[in-house]
Amino acid sequence: MSLVLILVLALTGCSSSTSSNNESASNSGKTVIKFMHLWPEGSSKAQYTIVNNIIKQYEKDHPDVKIQTEILGNEQYKDKIKVLSASNELPDVGVTWAAGYLEPFVKGNMLATLDDVIESDFKDSFVAGTTEAYAFDGKTYGLPLELNITPVYYNKEIFKKYNLEVPKTYDEFLKVVKTLVDKGVTPITLGNKDRWTGSMWYMYLADRIGGPEALTNAINRKGSFEDPSLVKAAEEIQKLVDMKAFVKGFNGLSNDEAKGYFMNEQAAMYMMATWELPNYTTSPDVTQEFKDKVGYFKFPTYEGGKGDINSYVGGPGVGLFVSENSKVKDEAKDFVAYLVKEWGKHSVQDAGVIPATVVDTSSGDLDQMYVDILNDLANASNLTLYADVQMSSSVAQVHLNMIQSLFGGQATPKEFTKKQEQALEDDK
Amino acid sequence: MKNVMSNKLAIALYVLPSLLLILILIYIPIVLTGYYGLMDWDGIGKMKFIGLENYIQLIKDKLFWSSTYHSVLLAVFSTVSLIAYLFISVILASKIKGANLLRKIYLIPMLLSSVAIAQLWLKIFDPTNGMLNKLLEMFGVENTPTWLADPNLVLFAIFIPIVWQYAGFYIIIYYAALKGVPEEIIEAAKIDGATPAQIAYKIKLPLISGVIKVTIVLAIVGSLKYFDLIYVMTGGGPNGSSEVIASLMYREAFKSYNFGYGSAIGFALLVICLVMTWVITKLTASKEDVQY
Amino acid sequence: MSEAVAQKQMKTTLSASPKTKNSFGKRVGFGFLYLFLGIIAIFQIYPLIWLFFFSLKTNQEVFGLSPFALPKDPQWGNYVKVWTQGNISLYFFNSVWITVIAVILTVILASLVTFAITRMYWKSSKLVLGLFMVGIMIPLHSTLIPLFSFFNNVHLIDNPISIILSYTAFNLPLTIMILLGFYQTLPREIEEAAVMDGCSIHRIFFQITLPMTTPVMATIVIINMIYNWNEFVFVNTFISSDKWKTLTVGVNNFVGQYLTDWGAIGATLMISIIPILIAFITLSNRIVEGIAAGSVKG
Repeated sequence: MSLVLILVLALTGCSSSTSSNNESASNSGKTVIKFMHLWPEGSSKAQYTIVNNIIKQYEKDHPDVKIQTEILGNEQYKDKIKVLSASNELPDVGVTWAAGYLEPFVKGNMLATLDDVIESDFKDSFVAGTTEAYAFDGKTYGLPLELNITPVYYNKEIFKKYNLEVPKTYDEFLKVVKTLVDKGVTPITLGNKDRWTGSMWYMYLADRIGGPEALTNAINRKGSFEDPSLVKAAEEIQKLVDMKAFVKGFNGLSNDEAKGYFMNEQAAMYMMATWELPNYTTSPDVTQEFKDKVGYFKFPTYEGGKGDINSYVGGPGVGLFVSENSKVKDEAKDFVAYLVKEWGKHSVQDAGVIPATVVDTSSGDLDQMYVDILNDLANASNLTLYADVQMSSSVAQVHLNMIQSLFGGQATPKEFTKKQEQALEDDK
Repeated sequence: MKNVMSNKLAIALYVLPSLLLILILIYIPIVLTGYYGLMDWDGIGKMKFIGLENYIQLIKDKLFWSSTYHSVLLAVFSTVSLIAYLFISVILASKIKGANLLRKIYLIPMLLSSVAIAQLWLKIFDPTNGMLNKLLEMFGVENTPTWLADPNLVLFAIFIPIVWQYAGFYIIIYYAALKGVPEEIIEAAKIDGATPAQIAYKIKLPLISGVIKVTIVLAIVGSLKYFDLIYVMTGGGPNGSSEVIASLMYREAFKSYNFGYGSAIGFALLVICLVMTWVITKLTASKEDVQY
Repeated sequence: MSEAVAQKQMKTTLSASPKTKNSFGKRVGFGFLYLFLGIIAIFQIYPLIWLFFFSLKTNQEVFGLSPFALPKDPQWGNYVKVWTQGNISLYFFNSVWITVIAVILTVILASLVTFAITRMYWKSSKLVLGLFMVGIMIPLHSTLIPLFSFFNNVHLIDNPISIILSYTAFNLPLTIMILLGFYQTLPREIEEAAVMDGCSIHRIFFQITLPMTTPVMATIVIINMIYNWNEFVFVNTFISSDKWKTLTVGVNNFVGQYLTDWGAIGATLMISIIPILIAFITLSNRIVEGIAAGSVKG
């Protein structure tokens, strides 16, 4: 037993000397703000650089503050935040997603409200609807950094080769698909192993057929998932799959793998959010030759459907939170405000990311595609947030699994809607 | 003899540090997992005690049973492959040319991290540009299968990289064990006129039966709790057709915020492994260690 | 025994009946044997060779041409690109020392325990063995939250000690199990003789038993090394500061951007393999020495 004591003492002894070292280094009177984000230098260089510069500038302007960053990749970040929140060790400032992801944190009282920050620093700077996705019971818990809509990117050269025009209606779209199939070209690349990619296709059909409210109402329980328009949307998906519109083996390809087909001109179309824009405009890793071949179009309208062409699937991307239990809450809030503001100034230019704050396009330095997208954004009639973000996490899992089954032909449209209706009911 | 070997202080010295380490770092988490399994908890907010409700839900959960079925299938495949590994090791342990080199080559896949192996095999299985399908096309196969997207094929497809990864592991264990068989016994048997085959089957194998038993347990338990490649390569899909217990647990606990339920799954996995181990030990009890 | 005689006996094994001395049958049998082993070797190693090749290809080659084609113009630039980004040397160094310390700790502790269980007489030996065996049954992710909480409370979070201790704890059961099978087959006469000569238990362990375990020792060193080197989840969860991160975490941060660039992925994977490949090759020679020494002990 004495052995036990010795060991335990040794362990704690070791550790306290290490931690006191850390403290004495940073305790030169400075306030330390712990900041965790998900833009590693290797995989997200542009965003990393913007954030890094902002941090440096902030520290210069506030010599009594030190920002301590921890950087992880997307999935690893999510896992770690989970572990941290369970032990009540969230960083002072961190990255979060809207709606369904945010909810458990809000319910668990882990996040500080940020309405005061919005009032003082951001009156009307945020694009309408973006902060709402981060609000519960009228209080805002996150400040969005990104805004994304989802167009369909296409390879102009391939279209030209087969005399194809950008489709404005769904019937025209189907004709385009059929022509490409007949000519042996993969019409659409899709990485449905990740499931949310297929979900976007479904969401657009639901929107165009049933109008922007159909899906949202089903999710927030004002309506039902078994609404006929939602069933019809599922039927159209299966028709599309049967036509061989999607790349071979899509249910086993991740989004990144599927993207490769488009980037290497083995597929004609790719539906993805505007976070992809750098690859078609500013990224140094893609050839200018390819970039020139890429254009985009809005998802076509459906004959007799209720949705219009300016309704998009999209919404705020990641945002920043401040931990409720943070010991440096005020300083953290100040930093967050600064970051969001500066981010908004640089993100389009330097990282190709559309911020949630209104962008000044008059400076004339932006790539044409950005200007077009931003114009379309300004004229958007509706933004429907991604289904799996709107839903609670467990319902989202059901939805995503059903998407895979629907696309894979393992579930009928009726089963598809029924299962999700069930899950939404059970979740109440 | 007995006195020396019963030295209490020595025993304590040799055993306690390790025991302590695993009691703190392994057993406490095990207990906590069982504890969380009794809760309704999203991992963030408050926990609510709900007794055995999670476990009852587990028993009713179709996805849990299909995941268990997949895990068991994996365990069966793995155990059967042991025979092949044993056979190869026996050959290698006999003095044939190039045994050393071959052994090293067989182990190489094991050196890779799971992420690397997953990436590599994803490229191999790619339905359009991957090595496997291109190979099949060269042989004239027209409609090459979509390995990871086809619910009927995915489990078998995943098994190949798993075998690829672990073959070397079992081979070097068997090899080390076979090499540990004292030369005198083999010499004696040869003098008695035994053929290499007889030496292999009647002498070497029984002498390493202890190690074989260990590898069976390892293969089965390892397969039951297997996670890495499956999660990265298929995510359990399409729609659960390659979901195994560990990936289901991870998904529930970390992605669905059902930490209580996820812990119940984890604890159930532990119990299943325990039962299997007990069963195996009972079944192989007859092949007791040979004393000589 | 000479090689020739040994080979002859192998051939005889594989022909139908042990008594046949048909020379054609010998050669056929021999041929099949090598073919069989060779095919397996190719199966094991070809994916890696393929990896190496596509790490040197451009994307056009990967997507357009046959995967079996050799790279036309080796893109060594892929390696440069991957190497120069990020703190690879720091991560590499961390991986090395953390792995080494954890392996040494595990091997020593495991040997001590296995010796105690198999050679010494005490009542709870079976119970303790059972306790260790149960240790391999816990799924890793279940332990993350409790362990994080624990290390946090003893202020070991973001400290490599937490990693080393965790690796040791989680590898002990497996290592002990492998050693166990081996220790049980070791002859006890030598130890018994030593006892009669009046050796203390510690001398018996360190000077007699331990050296006899060299073949399996090398095996468990390699196994532990591989596990620790490639481990990811614990490092990701317990370590926050860049200065303590290991190669696995560092490399993982790259794979994101490059997922459409097969060449860079290949280069990244090759870079993460090469250190351990070198370590493995150098260690393998030790195995041969160990076995040679062990088999001479007579």
